[in-house]
Amino acid sequence: MELIRVEEVSFAYLPGKLVLDRVTLRFDHRSTAIIGQNGAGKTTLVKLMKGLLKPFDGEILIGDLSVKKVTAASLAKRIGLVFQNPNDQIFKGNVLEEVMFGLLNIGVEREEARVRAIRALEMVELEGKRDMNPHDLSLSQKKLVSIAAVVAMDPEIIIFDEPTIAQDHAGKERIKEIIRYLDEKGKMVMTIIHDMDFVAECFERTVVMNRGRVLLDGPTREVFSREEVLKEAYLELPTVAQLSKRLGLSETFLTPKEFIAHLEGRIKG
Amino acid sequence: MKSISLYVDRQSFLHRIDPISKIYYIVAAILVPILYPSLTVAFAVMVISLILLFLGKVIRQTLSVYGFVFLVLITVLIIQTLFYPGNETPVYRIGQVVLYREGFFYALTISFRVINIVTSFLILVFTTRSADLVESLVRKGLSPRFGYVIASVFQIVPEMMSAMGRITDAQRSRGMETEGKLSVRMKAFLPLIGPVVLSSLLNVKERALALEVRGFNAKGKKTFLNEEKNFLAPTAVQWSLLAVILIAIIWRIIQ
Ligand SMILES: Nc1ncnc2c1ncn2[C@@H]1O[C@H](COP(=O)(O)OP(=O)(O)OP(=O)(O)O)[C@@H](O)[C@H]1O
Ligand SMILES: [Mg+2]
Repeated sequence: MELIRVEEVSFAYLPGKLVLDRVTLRFDHRSTAIIGQNGAGKTTLVKLMKGLLKPFDGEILIGDLSVKKVTAASLAKRIGLVFQNPNDQIFKGNVLEEVMFGLLNIGVEREEARVRAIRALEMVELEGKRDMNPHDLSLSQKKLVSIAAVVAMDPEIIIFDEPTIAQDHAGKERIKEIIRYLDEKGKMVMTIIHDMDFVAECFERTVVMNRGRVLLDGPTREVFSREEVLKEAYLELPTVAQLSKRLGLSETFLTPKEFIAHLEGRIKG
Repeated sequence: MKSISLYVDRQSFLHRIDPISKIYYIVAAILVPILYPSLTVAFAVMVISLILLFLGKVIRQTLSVYGFVFLVLITVLIIQTLFYPGNETPVYRIGQVVLYREGFFYALTISFRVINIVTSFLILVFTTRSADLVESLVRKGLSPRFGYVIASVFQIVPEMMSAMGRITDAQRSRGMETEGKLSVRMKAFLPLIGPVVLSSLLNVKERALALEVRGFNAKGKKTFLNEEKNFLAPTAVQWSLLAVILIAIIWRIIQ
């Protein structure tokens, strides 16, 4: 089933400077990574899907709702977006209030909202900070709070805009777990990300954006087998894929696990 | 970082006039109608200001400001036409309500003056980079600290506007209605004030820290980052405006 349809969408912030140029994409339940260099138009694309920006040409449908015809607020139950910069998303003076904000808006009772917010904070391991002012947290913690605030609302579609910024290894692993968990729960997870190893490990499908257009789109393994095209967008292969290429192997490996399994097979066989 | 300022980049002669002259113009535009309190003078000066703003090619950007000003002035006009203490000559009667001539003209004079003052400030704000203004003032001998205060004031309005846009996006993306009917917008506006002020204060704090670590408070004479800009005959323009102000004052005294 198609959850999101982006049809021939164009967008510009300033007259004459197209940031998206007739982009067409369909999204189903598969977890999807969106990659591309800085300024490729990734954030703009997801803000359009979220209804925060309106396309000046083309059409975006979330399920059967046209984004042009409804308010962003009315889409919030279905589609959640974790902003690229948590400072743009966080505005309450208290962590728990911040996480409860969206829940209350979509009609969840206060007590229930509280329980769900605390559960979401536990998920990002920030339960202990719930009475703090979010502005006193570190950037990585703020990012986790903003993730909790969206995940708590339990929308069908969840978009992360660079979830791993400022995160250390443990933080990245936690975010990977959250993404896998949501995927298993049947949510549609879409993530803008610059970390190719992360892409290879977590996402079934990958969309490559370049200068406001879709350059490549398909199963992640297929996308990473097109090194020449990726080069055009100044993108690198995941580490394991680079390694196997250097070793002269023809297959594209995505995770260390796969790669090792293959090597073991060769040694034994 | 997004550059935030009300300045509109255009090619016009007003953009090439130096900031100090524009300040003199504001003084002249305020002083002359006060010295000569007549409807005609108020009207004439207002027209001059409006023509200048038009020549600065920034009229379109200032429309929202005028929208607000007109709203206030229409209220003034209605109230004065009905209730001005000097009202004597009725000109129109709608049932119980009487409209008076004196109040109407009094309100009209106020309106012309207000529009004139607003316009002369708009000329300064919309056709001058705030950095240029502050730099000119500091070159004239203003202390850099005070210059910084002025620069901040110039930034605070656009900064609040951009904070407002940011926070509105954060709110509607998590289900709070902010679009559509006026009543919805009003309801969404109140909870916005706290976060906007907070976010602006945080910005101010960060900026203060950034200045501090770069030695803004260091003792000694400060030098300028930029070469002095080439404005259109600054001395001539400044002296002409000063002359206008002086002549207006002297004329008034000897009359
Ligand atoms: N509010 C804005 N006003 C004007 N131009 C903007 C605005 N936001 C983004 N842009 C421009 O639009 C283009 C695309 O921006 P966008 O944020 O969508 O890129 P991105 O792919 O998300 O990049 P990044 O990886 O750096 O986040 C960039 O050239 C950017 O400078
Ligand atoms: Mg981005």
